[in-house]
Amino acid sequence: MADQANFEGDAMQYTRQLYSAAMRMTRNPSDAEDLVQETFLKAYRAYHTFEEGTNLKAWLYRILTNTYINKYRKDSRRPSEVDLGSVEDLYLYRNIGSEESAEAARTTEDLVLEGLVESDIKKAVEDLPENFRLPVLLADLEGFSYKEIAEILDIPIGTVMSRLHRGRKAMQKSLWDYAMKRGLVPEGAERP
Amino acid sequence: MSGHECDDALTNLYQYLDQEIEATTYEVIRAHLEDCSGCLRSFDFEARLKIVVRERLSEDVPPEFLNRLRDALAREAAEH
Repeated sequence: MADQANFEGDAMQYTRQLYSAAMRMTRNPSDAEDLVQETFLKAYRAYHTFEEGTNLKAWLYRILTNTYINKYRKDSRRPSEVDLGSVEDLYLYRNIGSEESAEAARTTEDLVLEGLVESDIKKAVEDLPENFRLPVLLADLEGFSYKEIAEILDIPIGTVMSRLHRGRKAMQKSLWDYAMKRGLVPEGAERP
Repeated sequence: MSGHECDDALTNLYQYLDQEIEATTYEVIRAHLEDCSGCLRSFDFEARLKIVVRERLSEDVPPEFLNRLRDALAREAAEH
């Protein structure tokens, strides 16, 4: 049992991470602030049920994602599946490497990794359907294990893995589009 | 180089990078990456991409919000 008096000292260290995740979930600062504040208040009220020594960060994320799902997920018209068509694994890497010498491809790899700006990456995540966005955020922003993600989202671990796989693939497809738009890949690297 | 070993390595790429793989499989892939520059490059790219994504998704918390959050928690504590 955790002591409420210690809540601020224990939990506030995760504010930045929770806020970063909330921004990608809600897609705007004002909802992100509301979501994080509500998460902290709920967590504070329930802190006496938190078992000390267990994973506080995962516990906070579970509250965050549940609050988000219950309150902010209102636009059910958004697609719940990613259309991957013929998108292959390692989509970004393979496209960069197509039709070029190894050396030229390496230069393009660096250009792409350096040149994709924050807004490209944020947009690529935000455009993912929710089922895929949450696992990707939990894994790639927060570094949670598959098991932790399964517990936070209350889905089987196999589902975590397949959603992560498809979500990352869809993200790579968007990142490739942004890389082309920004002229980070040479002419001719674009596939027909 | 390409073949079964490369296919196996690429199939397990994310689990390898996510450190979600059994020790024996990890060792097999690690040994393969020492021998296969093609796979090593793709693993290296994906590892760098993972870092780039993580770094560029992080947000600064607005200081005013941090103050409001502390106030809200203090109010909550005072009420109970």
